[in-house]
Amino acid sequence: MSGQPPEGVPDWSKVWDLSTRLFHWLLVAAVFISGTTGFFGQASGLDWHVWSGYAIGALVIWRLIWGMFGSEYARTDRLFAALRNLRAHIDGLLRLSPTHYAGHNPAGSLMIIGLIAVLLSIVVSGIVVLGGAEKQGVLAGVTSYTVGHLAKGVHQVLAYLLVVMIVGHLGGVIAEIVLLKVPLVRGMITGWLPAGGEGEAARVRKARPVLALISAGLVAVGIGALALPLSAIPALGVPAPVTANAAFVKECGSCHWPFHPNLLPRASWKAVMGSLDQHFGEDASLAEKPAAAIAAYLDANAAETADTEAANRLREVSAAEPRRITETPFWQHMHHGLRPETFKSPAVKTKSNCLACHADAATGRFDDQMIDVPHQLLTGGTP
Amino acid sequence: MTRASLMIVLALIAIPTVAIAVADPRRDAILADLSTEAMTVDSAFAGFDAVRGKTFWFASQTGGKPDTPSCTTCHTKDPKAAGQTRAGKDIKPMAVSKTPDRFTDPEKIAKWFLRNCKTVLGRECTAGEKGDVITFLANQ
Repeated sequence: MSGQPPEGVPDWSKVWDLSTRLFHWLLVAAVFISGTTGFFGQASGLDWHVWSGYAIGALVIWRLIWGMFGSEYARTDRLFAALRNLRAHIDGLLRLSPTHYAGHNPAGSLMIIGLIAVLLSIVVSGIVVLGGAEKQGVLAGVTSYTVGHLAKGVHQVLAYLLVVMIVGHLGGVIAEIVLLKVPLVRGMITGWLPAGGEGEAARVRKARPVLALISAGLVAVGIGALALPLSAIPALGVPAPVTANAAFVKECGSCHWPFHPNLLPRASWKAVMGSLDQHFGEDASLAEKPAAAIAAYLDANAAETADTEAANRLREVSAAEPRRITETPFWQHMHHGLRPETFKSPAVKTKSNCLACHADAATGRFDDQMIDVPHQLLTGGTP
Repeated sequence: MTRASLMIVLALIAIPTVAIAVADPRRDAILADLSTEAMTVDSAFAGFDAVRGKTFWFASQTGGKPDTPSCTTCHTKDPKAAGQTRAGKDIKPMAVSKTPDRFTDPEKIAKWFLRNCKTVLGRECTAGEKGDVITFLANQ
């Protein structure tokens, strides 16, 4: 099907080569997965978002290489050359009779340059968010929470911008289909499109796939040489697991799940240890020696000493209940979607049972992917 | 019947006897200490009583924290069953037949009687009350 021009039409060109077509549709799929998981997904689906994001990065890098070594219409220099005719093209569009170009028209070229720039920026900012805020990925060892949090804002603004650009891209495609009767969608599947105006493809360069593959290999080696040593650096400010402290786990863990000390700031832990005889409705007095050891452990590992998202956000405590993790604004914000019955169910029992849903709670990391709210609690069935 | 098989039969007969009599020298020593303490407070003290311990265990108290009016709030009404802390952690059964090392560690006993008596009764328990409860649960 894709090997031959449509019958009876003499002047068709093979515009989009196989690499360009594959790139386009794989990119559509990857952006769709990233977009839906990013805008609507559960936190536990972060891996889908991250890996489709890596796929977008790889596809765009390959496309840039193919833009140097691909067949004529895939070349990146054509995009910039086409910009010279942008004004004339827009004038034509406004008169509803734009000029037909076989490859990217000037407006389309501008859109493609913009899309590639925005996609690359989204991928890079996403890797910074992943490293700084989630303490995962290649930048986990060198990115602070503050930087990751700032990058999150950039990542989100760019994501909304991308949505607008995709709408613009589709609008351009529809405009050309309607105004010029060019089967653009079929063209991106078969590669064949009506030839453009005179002289457009005067210079028809052939694809250099071997050179492209060698370049891609070199780029991959370069990225690997950068990423491997980076990912070997231990994640920045990720604390030791709470299980490392036997006294704390024994004394505090006999009544409740032993909270990681990075979930409250020093002042709160001090308040907890200073009021053990009035401990959330019970007397939890400790002998002097274990009490002193636990107070020292809490002080040395409080939220101020870690750089995880939880440690950074839970530093802000409730003014009325500074000892309660579940009263902090961040805890409430992150759990507001859960129904009260969820916490009372046999599988969870109480809000203080972090481990019921956060499989890695003891590490203090609280990774998005480690969240697993028992299924029946989400669907409303009785357990 | 050979001598060896006779030994096996005797051993099999002995197993349930051992399981019921869960005496532990450490617990006996702890009860002896509590008994001495009880006598210094009350010269008429005539030994611990499992029935008194049972009554105490199931009684509803008013002097302590409102969420925990009785031992059974957390330990449940069945001493052989596992209990649950208010924060949802399991508590091994208090009955010595189910948890044989109950009441064998003086530090643990001191810590939990202090905390739980203050929580439930709003005061420390007397040596007599502690000994009665241990005697009750040791026979469960």
